[in-house]
Amino acid sequence: MNVIRKLRNPVLINEWKVRMRSNRAAWVTTLYLLVLGGIVLTFIFLRINFENRYDPDISREIFMFLSILQFGMICLFTPGLTAGVISGERERQTLSVLLTTNLTATKLILGKWLASLSFMIYLVMASLPLYGIVFLYGGISPIQLVQVFGLYLVTMLGLGSVGVLFSTLMKRTGVSIVLTYAFLFAYTAGTFFLYVVAQEMIDYQRRMANLHAMQPNPVWPEWLLSLNPLAVGLHVFEEGVFNRFHDLKAAGNLPFWMIDPYWLYILFFVLLTIGSLELSIYLIKPVRKRLWKR
Amino acid sequence: MIQIDNLRKRYGKMEALKGLSLEIGKGQVFGFVGPNGAGKSTTMLILATLLEPTSGKAYVGGFDVVKQPREVRRLIGYMPDFFGVYDNVTAEEYLDFYASNYDISPQERKEIIPQLLELVSLSHKRDAFVDSLSRGMKQRLGLARSLVHNPDVLILDEPASGLDPRARIELREILKELRNMGKTIIISSHILPELAEMCDVIGIIEGGELVATGSVDEIYAKMQGYKVLKVRMLDQWEEATALLTRHDKVASVKKDGNVLLADFTGTDQEQAALLQQLAAAGLPMASFAEGEGNLEEIFLEIVKGAGS
Repeated sequence: MNVIRKLRNPVLINEWKVRMRSNRAAWVTTLYLLVLGGIVLTFIFLRINFENRYDPDISREIFMFLSILQFGMICLFTPGLTAGVISGERERQTLSVLLTTNLTATKLILGKWLASLSFMIYLVMASLPLYGIVFLYGGISPIQLVQVFGLYLVTMLGLGSVGVLFSTLMKRTGVSIVLTYAFLFAYTAGTFFLYVVAQEMIDYQRRMANLHAMQPNPVWPEWLLSLNPLAVGLHVFEEGVFNRFHDLKAAGNLPFWMIDPYWLYILFFVLLTIGSLELSIYLIKPVRKRLWKR
Repeated sequence: MIQIDNLRKRYGKMEALKGLSLEIGKGQVFGFVGPNGAGKSTTMLILATLLEPTSGKAYVGGFDVVKQPREVRRLIGYMPDFFGVYDNVTAEEYLDFYASNYDISPQERKEIIPQLLELVSLSHKRDAFVDSLSRGMKQRLGLARSLVHNPDVLILDEPASGLDPRARIELREILKELRNMGKTIIISSHILPELAEMCDVIGIIEGGELVATGSVDEIYAKMQGYKVLKVRMLDQWEEATALLTRHDKVASVKKDGNVLLADFTGTDQEQAALLQQLAAAGLPMASFAEGEGNLEEIFLEIVKGAGS
């Protein structure tokens, strides 16, 4: 009983209650599913092309299309949903009062973070029946479906935690939202750009050293690209740039140090989430222990 | 109950508190008076564990506000000068949310909330959305919110600011009731008479320093004989100012439009003599009257006068 009481988060419960009270939540869900469902059903209709048979490859294509579409929506909406949670309280002049209650900084940050993401998680879960339609026709493994939802979840949690961090750091919600989107863009473009630069450098060195074509390239540029959401999204469907990984895996020659980019991505985003939330918890405390002496 | 020792707070180059020290006993109602920027809110923010002092110590119920903020928060109910409310939340839900933040069980909350709404005369607004309430009602709800965990100490920063006269009276009545309940209250205001009725001790703060402290009677005793004379002139303000300034019972003279405001410390006889002097000098006066001076402004003048 005591444990349940300790785990109970009043901020989360209150946010859920208030958020789901209005008709807006129902309308947004309906609209979201209508748009997503409309696109998927149109796609299916066009690809089947009035034929009686159904090719599993088409099903795989639709699944990829739906997954990437939803992934894009998550990346687009998550910063907007989370980057105002603390700065919004500050602007509304409710934060100081909250901070004088017994609510711990951890509960406050976790409550706000989960509350802002829970609606997005709910939308993604509500879209599961759409995946069911695609899943019916085969061509996709259940593991892939789980991997896609795992990718959604960690990306949402990671981006959300960065949004909360900027919201804690910035006084204005507008600035916080802009910075979170800028982070998302810089991170996605940055990891890809660094990968391209690293590959070019390696190729240059190989040419200079006259290395044999059979000599394998170092693996670290691929590790770098493993942090890129789009590259990992494609990797789940065995598409994209991680060809060496797929080839070695198919041949059963995968060395132990060649970690699956998917798991590297998950690990990095889990660390990003923990780091951002820890920093937010530290920063929101009005009176805190100094990390360094002035 | 509250002890402040040599408290200093610096914002960049500006020193908001310059070694403030004071002590407030259990059950005492302490009125904090001073102009804007004097350091009232800074002191209250430090006591509410929302701001770290640059140096010095502050204790609430024996707990250090910097080292033991969680213990302090259990003891205090804080109401800032401006606070927001959540949309889409009723008055009852608003109090319920804050009560749950203090780990009060749902059963206890069901008992406490109607009592609090009753205390602040908002029982009839129990199911009304908070953002639909008037400013006075929101202020009363804020006060109820600061009481959800039955704190020993109440820190109220300008609770009457922005309220109409009726709402001020209602708020004053609630505060009197809280005093009778034995709460230690620290309350700030710009207006001394507003606090005089309900405070046991008054502290006057100016430029980050406590310039005077004492019981209400002591403060009033010091102000005996002080008044503001309003002299409305048609012309020759400079001559009238010079004449007034030369008078040994006039502390200072200010010009407000075509009216000269003179801080006067003399008796009624001396006041009559001053009027005769102005008339004899042939200065064109339209009126000569005693004004209602802002008491704490006059008091600050006295303190400044005493200091110089």
